[in-house]
Amino acid sequence: MSNTKYAKTGFLLRIYLRRDWLKIVFWLIGVVGLMAGAAGKFDTLYGSSKAMNSIITTLRTPAMVSLLGPFTASKPYTVANVYAAEMMVFMGLFVAMMNIYFAIHATRTDEDSGVTELVRARAVGRNASLTAAIFELILINLIAGVLEALGLQVSGMSGSNAAGNWLFGFGLAAFGLMFGAFSLLAAQLASSSRGATMLSYLILGVLFVARMGTDVQNTDLTWWTIYGWIEKLDIYGQNIWWPVALMVILIVLIGGLAVRLGATRDVGAGLLPQRAGRRQASVWLRGPLSLIACLERTSTIVWLVALFILGATYGSIFGTAGDLMKTNPTMAKLIGTTAVTQANRTIVLAFANKLVIIFVVLATIPGLITLFRLNRDERNGYFEQLHAKAVSRGQLYFSIAAFGLVSAIVALLLGILGMYAAGAASMGTEALTVGRFMRAFWGYMPALIVTFGIAALLAGLLPKFQNVAWVIPVYGLISLYLGPLLDTPKWATRISPYGWVNRVPIDSVAWGTASWMTVLGLGLIVLGYLAYTHRDLTTN
Amino acid sequence: MVQPVVEIKQLQKHFGKFQALKDITLTVNTGEVFGFIGPNGAGKSTTIRTLLGILKKSGGTATIFGQDVWRDAVAIHKRLAYVPGDVYLWPNLSGGEVIDLFLKLNDQKHSSRTDELIKAFELDVSKKCHTYSKGNRQKVALIAAFSTAADLYIFDEPTSGLDPLMEEIFQQQVLALKAAGKSVLLSSHILSEVEHMCDRIGIIRDGRIIETGTLDDMRQLSRTQVTVTAVKSVKQLADNPAVHGFKQTGDKATFAVDSEALGAVIAALAPLEVKTLQSTPPTLEDLFMRYYNQQEATADEQH
Ligand SMILES: Nc1ncnc2c1ncn2[C@@H]1O[C@H](COP(=O)(O)OP(=O)(O)OP(=O)(O)O)[C@@H](O)[C@H]1O
Ligand SMILES: [Mg+2]
Repeated sequence: MSNTKYAKTGFLLRIYLRRDWLKIVFWLIGVVGLMAGAAGKFDTLYGSSKAMNSIITTLRTPAMVSLLGPFTASKPYTVANVYAAEMMVFMGLFVAMMNIYFAIHATRTDEDSGVTELVRARAVGRNASLTAAIFELILINLIAGVLEALGLQVSGMSGSNAAGNWLFGFGLAAFGLMFGAFSLLAAQLASSSRGATMLSYLILGVLFVARMGTDVQNTDLTWWTIYGWIEKLDIYGQNIWWPVALMVILIVLIGGLAVRLGATRDVGAGLLPQRAGRRQASVWLRGPLSLIACLERTSTIVWLVALFILGATYGSIFGTAGDLMKTNPTMAKLIGTTAVTQANRTIVLAFANKLVIIFVVLATIPGLITLFRLNRDERNGYFEQLHAKAVSRGQLYFSIAAFGLVSAIVALLLGILGMYAAGAASMGTEALTVGRFMRAFWGYMPALIVTFGIAALLAGLLPKFQNVAWVIPVYGLISLYLGPLLDTPKWATRISPYGWVNRVPIDSVAWGTASWMTVLGLGLIVLGYLAYTHRDLTTN
Repeated sequence: MVQPVVEIKQLQKHFGKFQALKDITLTVNTGEVFGFIGPNGAGKSTTIRTLLGILKKSGGTATIFGQDVWRDAVAIHKRLAYVPGDVYLWPNLSGGEVIDLFLKLNDQKHSSRTDELIKAFELDVSKKCHTYSKGNRQKVALIAAFSTAADLYIFDEPTSGLDPLMEEIFQQQVLALKAAGKSVLLSSHILSEVEHMCDRIGIIRDGRIIETGTLDDMRQLSRTQVTVTAVKSVKQLADNPAVHGFKQTGDKATFAVDSEALGAVIAALAPLEVKTLQSTPPTLEDLFMRYYNQQEATADEQH
C-alpha cells in the first residue's frame, strides 16, 4: 500500500532533469570551475616559503578567520593546507546557495504555478514529486562532488592527496545536500516559493553568522553551528570522514521530516499560519510607489535588519581583530604603544574594507529583486490591470527603480552603521569615528548605483535576460573576496563596478570617481526607462 | 441497479478558522453526467480538489470507486482524468510533450484517439507552452483528459476561455463519454452546458449542498412561466398564493406559478375564456436564481 505513495517518482525525476539540465550545467560549471581553477593556480601563488608564511599569518588573523574559517593545519604546511583553509567555508556557501535554488525550484515553484495540481490528479504518488526533487538534488550534488574531486586530482596541487580530494568533493556534496534538505523543509512550511526561499536563506544566514562568532571565540563551539561541520573535515590534514556521516544523518532526518509533512499538507498551502488581510487598503496605498512598497515591505525589512545584524556581528570582533598584542605580540612590543594603536586601527580599516564588499553585494540583492518585479509581475499578469489604469509606464518604472535603489542603499548604510556601532563598543578607547566608516559608504554607494543601472537597462531593454544581471554581484564578490588571495590580474577585478572603488575606508573617498559613477549609474537607469517605454510589455 | 462512482458524505474542509465546506453530501452514479453548480466561492473547486486528494478533508467521508480519496489516491487516479479551470504548464515544454507526459503519468500512451482530439480541438501541439493563449492551454488539458481511458472524468469549469466552436466540441466529447458508459463530474457556470448534458445536478451554496436531483425533479419544485390572454379579467389570480410576479398589460398577463400548483391555476383559468395560453418550463437559470435568492432571503432573516 505504502509504495503507491511513491508511484511515478522515477518518471518525474526524468522530467525534472530534462527541465533543469541547462541550469544544472551552468551551476556545475561555476562551482567546479571555481574549485579546479583555484587549485590550478595555488602552486604558483604560494609555492615559495615566504609567500606561504605570509598567507598563513594573514589567515590566522581574526578577520580572516571570521570570513574563511580557522587555519587549523599543523606543520609542515603545504599549499593544499592553505587551499583548504581558503576555499572550504567559501565553497560551502556556494553549494548551499545552489541547493537552495534547486530545492525550491523543484518543489514550490511548480506548486505556485498550479502544475503540481495537474500532476497530482494523475496516477502519481503523494510523495512522488517531493521524492523526485530529493533524488534530483542528490544527483546534482553527487555529480558536483565527483567532478570537484576529479578537478582537484587533475590539478595535482602540491600537498594534495587522493583521500583529501575525494573528501573535499563528497564533503561539499553532503554539505550542500544538507542545505537542500533545510530548503525542502522550508518549502513545506512556507506558503509560496518566495517565502520558502527567504526562510532558507534565513537559516543559512543564521548558521553562517553563528559559525563566524564561534570560530573567532572558541572553535570547539563551532560544532554546534552545523555550518562549521565542513571545517571539521580537516582536509589535507587528518582527512576526517565522520562529519560527513553526521551530515548524512541530518539530511535523512530533515529530508524525512519534509516528506512526512509534505504527505499531510494541502497542495498549494504551507503549514505556517497565514494572517488575514485587511478589509480596506490603508490610506497610503494609493499609487504605484506605495503599491511596490506594500508588496516588498516584509522582505525589505528582513534585508535591512539582516544587514545591520551582520554588520554588528562583524563589528563586534573588531576589538579582537584589531588587537596586535594578541595576534602578533612580538611585533607589538617592537613598535611601541602609539604605533600599536595606529597599527590596530589600520588592521580594522583593512578588515572593514573587505567587509564592505560583502555588504554592498548583499545590499544589491534586495534592490535587484525589487527591480526585476518590473518584468516578473508583468509575466505573471499582475501589472496588466495597472497599465489599463491612469498609470504611465514611467510612473511604474521609476516607482520600482526608486524603491529598489533606495532600499539597496539603505541596506548598505545599515550594514556599515551596524559595523561601526558594534565596532566602537568592542574597541573601547581605540574606537574609530563614524565619519571614517562613512567613507566606505560614499565610496561604494556609486558602485551599487552603477550595478543597479546596468540591471535596470537590461530589464528595460531585454526583459528575458534580466536575470543575467545577477552575474555582476556574484562575480564582484568572487573577484574582490578571493581575487587578492588568488592574485588575479588587476583588470579581472575591474570588470565589475565594485572593482572601480578605491580602498575605502583606509583611503579617503575619491570624489571624482564617485561622482562620475553616480552620474553613469543614474544615466543607465534613465536609458533603461527609455528602452522600457519603447518596447512591448512582456506577456505570458 | 445504479452503482455509485463518487460517494461524498458530510464532507468538511477547514482552511485555518475558515470553513470552506460545511456539509457536502452527494453521489455520482455510473454512467451519468453530474452537474455541479453554485455561486462563486461556494466550494465547488474545494470539493473537487478534496476528491483528488490534493486537499486533505477535515471531516466526513469521500470515496471514488469505493476507495478512500486520500489513502488510495494513486489507485483512483489511474482510472480518472481531471481538467481544472486554470491550466498552467511548464513554459519550456511543448503542448504535445505535455499531453504525452500526462498520459504517461497514467501509464497510457499517445493513441490515434489523441491525434483525433488534437485535430478536433485544432491545437498546434508543436508550440511551447509559454506561447499559448488561455484557451489553448485549456485545450492541452482537455485533450490530455479526453484521450485518457478512464472511468471517471472530473471537469472544473473546463470551458473557461474556449470559443463557442470549441465549447461545442467539448460537449460532443462529453456526450460521447456518456454514451460509452463513463461517469462525469462537471462543475460549470455555463448553465446551458449543464442543462444540455447533465443527468443530475447538485447545487452548492456556502459550503453546503442545498439540492440534488434531476432537472425534471427540480422543475417540479420550481415555477413555470405562464403568459395568458383571456376575455374576462384574470386579475383575481394575482391573489393566488401560488402565483408570483403577476403583471398585466391590456388583456395579456404574465406570471410565474409554483409547478406543484400548476394544475390548480389552470383550472382557475378555465372559466375566464382563455384565448391564448403559453407556458414555459423553468430554465436551469431560473432554478438557480430561485435557490440563490431563497438562500439570500433566509440569510437576511437571520440578521
Ligand atoms: N487555500 C485556501 N485558503 C483559505 N480559503 C480558501 C482556500 N481555497 C479556497 N478557499 C475559500 O474556500 C471557499 C470555496 O472556494 P472554491 O474555490 O471551492 O469556490 P468555487 O465554488 O470553486 O468558486 P468559483 O465558482 O469562483 O470557482 C472560498 O470562500 C474560498 O475563498
Ligand atoms: Mg472554482
